[in-house]
Amino acid sequence: MKRMLKIIHSNNLFIKIFLVMVISIIAVSLSITYSSIQMSSNLFMDTFSITNSKIMNQITERIDNFTESTVSASLEVETNGVMKQALLENHPTTVDESNFYYEMKYEMDRIYAEVDPNDANMVIMSNNQHVFNMNYIKWPVDGNKLANSDLIKRVKESSNDIVYQFENSEVTNGVPMIVASKALRLKSDYIYGYLFFSLTERDLRKFYESYTSAGNNVMLITPGGKIISSNLKERIGDTSEKLLNYAKSFEDEDLEYRQVNVFDHDYTILSQYLPSLDVYLVNLIDQRVVADNVIDTSDIILISVAIVGIAVLVAFLILRRMTVSISQLVNQISDMGRYQFNKPLKVTGGYETQKIAEAFNYMLNELQDYVQLLMNTQEKQRKAELEALQHQINPHFIYNTLASIKFMIKQEKQEIAENTMDSFIALIQNSLSNVDETVSVEQELENLKNYVQINQARYGDRIKVNYLISPDCLDLYLPKLVLQPFIENAFFHAFTKKKNGFIQILIARRENQLVCEIVDNGDGMGEEQIDNKTVKTKQKRKLFSGIGVKNVHERIQLLYGKDYGVEIESELAKGTKVIIVLPVNEHPE
Amino acid sequence: MSKHITNKFWLLMIALVTATVLAACGGDDSEGDAEGGDDASGTSQLTAWAWDPNFNIAALELAKENYDAEGFELEVIENAQDDIVQKLNTGLSSGTMKGMPNIVLIEDQRAQSFLQSYPDAFYPIGDYFNTEDFASYKIAPTSFDGEQYGLPFDTGATGFFYRTDYLEEAGYTEEDLTNITWADFVTIAKDVKEKTGHPMLALDPNDLGILRVMMQTTGTWYTNEDGEINLVDNEPLKLALTHYKELMSNDLVQLVSDWSQYLAAFNSGDVASVPAGNWIAASVEAEESQSGNWKVAPTPRLDMEGAKNASNQGGSSWYVLNIDGKEAAAEFLGQTFGSNADFYQSLVEDVGALGTYTPASEGDAYQFENEFFNNQQVVYDFSQWMEEIPQVDYGMNTYGIEDILAAEIQQYLNGKSLEDVLADAQAQAENQFK
Repeated sequence: MKRMLKIIHSNNLFIKIFLVMVISIIAVSLSITYSSIQMSSNLFMDTFSITNSKIMNQITERIDNFTESTVSASLEVETNGVMKQALLENHPTTVDESNFYYEMKYEMDRIYAEVDPNDANMVIMSNNQHVFNMNYIKWPVDGNKLANSDLIKRVKESSNDIVYQFENSEVTNGVPMIVASKALRLKSDYIYGYLFFSLTERDLRKFYESYTSAGNNVMLITPGGKIISSNLKERIGDTSEKLLNYAKSFEDEDLEYRQVNVFDHDYTILSQYLPSLDVYLVNLIDQRVVADNVIDTSDIILISVAIVGIAVLVAFLILRRMTVSISQLVNQISDMGRYQFNKPLKVTGGYETQKIAEAFNYMLNELQDYVQLLMNTQEKQRKAELEALQHQINPHFIYNTLASIKFMIKQEKQEIAENTMDSFIALIQNSLSNVDETVSVEQELENLKNYVQINQARYGDRIKVNYLISPDCLDLYLPKLVLQPFIENAFFHAFTKKKNGFIQILIARRENQLVCEIVDNGDGMGEEQIDNKTVKTKQKRKLFSGIGVKNVHERIQLLYGKDYGVEIESELAKGTKVIIVLPVNEHPE
Repeated sequence: MSKHITNKFWLLMIALVTATVLAACGGDDSEGDAEGGDDASGTSQLTAWAWDPNFNIAALELAKENYDAEGFELEVIENAQDDIVQKLNTGLSSGTMKGMPNIVLIEDQRAQSFLQSYPDAFYPIGDYFNTEDFASYKIAPTSFDGEQYGLPFDTGATGFFYRTDYLEEAGYTEEDLTNITWADFVTIAKDVKEKTGHPMLALDPNDLGILRVMMQTTGTWYTNEDGEINLVDNEPLKLALTHYKELMSNDLVQLVSDWSQYLAAFNSGDVASVPAGNWIAASVEAEESQSGNWKVAPTPRLDMEGAKNASNQGGSSWYVLNIDGKEAAAEFLGQTFGSNADFYQSLVEDVGALGTYTPASEGDAYQFENEFFNNQQVVYDFSQWMEEIPQVDYGMNTYGIEDILAAEIQQYLNGKSLEDVLADAQAQAENQFK
């Protein structure tokens, strides 16, 4: 988990850009895919609906043709005197009957051939249940059944109209068909026969079947909601109020087409009322099925998925390349602050990152130069300060010493005064006239002895000073006034409780170092006093040069580096040991 | 470095474009395949037109079962015979052949009118079977101009189907009904009507088939050997018409106006006999409750010299139309009706159809004793009578002449003299068909 977070963190830029790109690529392709599918579907449906409304007109025309020929045939039959006569007369003998049959058939053949009502069958039945059938295959009529059927009842009830009925009862032997029936009446309203035109559902379907296809369905619905003909054979005989209401709605509103949900499906519906048959012609279009045949949605989706995939891959590769070099740059920079401030960045990656790295390296160099310069300046300043300090002798020291010598002369201690005078002169000579930075050990020792002599002359010799100098060190050089402050310190601070003691000065060469030790057996210091080396320099009483212990340490390190400096070991009541480590310098600087 | 990246980028772009193009091409390919498939399946769907579901259509369905060519599909559509004739005439005369079937059944007596009127409309199928395997009297009407167009199907041999119960009631035995004349038939009809109240036979006044059956027992037709219309001095026709009028005038006939009523007439038990082609057997047998009540006697002959107790009616043959799928259709017919003796055995047993394929007559099925017909060996009997059928040339105008004759016959029934009737009919026919 942590690893994951780390990876995410280190690839933050890449992930952000990549996610934004992926999301936008997907969003763009999704919306384009969706809208193009939607657009083409809508366009297709629009044109499809226009075509279909024309098809509806053609179907209507065909059905009207059928009804027209039915009407004209029935007119011919009604006005045919031969048939009227034949149907009205009785035919007691076979010979009469034979004539009757012959005449009827002859006349009917003529009319039927003339009218040729689109696969419809023409049947005439006399009151005596003689049946004349033009095409028995279409409707094998049984005279008895027909005479007793509801079909006849309904025909009798209607005055002079042609009655269109949907039948799939026993009369039609269970075959669904539309039967147009008309009672043949005299003026006296006496019915002398019945005329039928039967059109089987199968033949009726031929009127429109060629216009249908998968998802594009045609139905004929009676005003009772019964589906009497359809290319969807399993729907024939069903009753659907819902569909009927939709079909009816076309009459009231001037609609081209509308969307509906019937048979648990979404359809586009077109409808038209056919007054001749008293049925609704309904065109049900299953958009999905129809549109799917034309618009290959899965293909479009496949293509856009492929494009998205490739685009994402390309984006991934290019972005990865770009961001990896930036990430590496960032890595190097973040490490640099801690460990490798001097190490320049690797110049790799794209143009931009290269330029950044170059600029960064350039800036780094400049910075280093600047820092170096600053350090040098600071060192110089420090040196200047120290120099200024070391070239002056504290005036109080001079007053006090001169005052002490005056007292000695007054007290007629001539020899001591003379010696002190000599030491003082040598000390001042060395401090003021010698402008060199360094002095030889021998010379420094001389200075120290003078200083000690002056102090002993002034304050008494209760503090003894011993010098243990390795002879090979005498010619070595060391910075001026390095030892003096510690001796001064020892004189004036180490022996405040103890009144007597000694100070030992040891100088020896140890390997490549010049080690000077100033050891006293005075009061010693506490821990805090050692750490805080400034304590002693706080003394207002500046005795000789004013150079503090702390200054010495800083100065040595400034001159020679961190390997050198001052160490102080101390124990209360036992004494203090100051160790000064210096490089071996055989020549003055 | 940057150049390197640009190269890679373009490579990727090219890959992308290629992929897209390939995807698009793939889509096209699949569409093409689908269209091809539709075409291929469209050609193997054949249609056939025939009439009589008990006989011709049943035979065709049986042939379909006996034929298992890959991808062969045959849709059999039932039509009335008159309807087929009309549709063929309409379609063939328009020359478009649109909506025409691949296989069509045509009655032998009509065949020549089609073959001669539309010689290019039919596909010669002589190569698909051996014409010598078929009765020679079937070859003449099914071929034209030296080419064999029709595959002979049923014989059309006629018989005198009668109700044993009714005729026994009227006092007639099997022997009394064998090898009789039409004059005997009329006498028997009178007895039957008187004693049982049943009319002897059913007739459609618009279908003169019975006259043709009578005439052919003497080997004569409406036309003579030279194709000339021969009504006036046609003695067999005259005799046949006399018998016809006698049957009508004595109310010995139940009139029907179409085929379904004709079938109903004997299936309902109204009529005592059915003198008709052997193909009617299947329809008679369709009424199973009458099993054992029927027998078949030889066809009555006209009482003239040389007349045989055998005749022909409504024999038909299969034809292939000269449209797409003709080879498949001819192949199908050749493999079944044209050469499969085993198929003919089941045809006899299941449908009762008697073909004119001679190698089939040696099979056991021909000896089959039919329970429905009182264990009579009906098929064998028919095959015997078939050999007796007097040969006639039907010519082109059989039905045209009959239409004229049918009108004249109504006048004859109403009292017009026979001589005048025939003279007027002859005159009209000569006018019409010269």
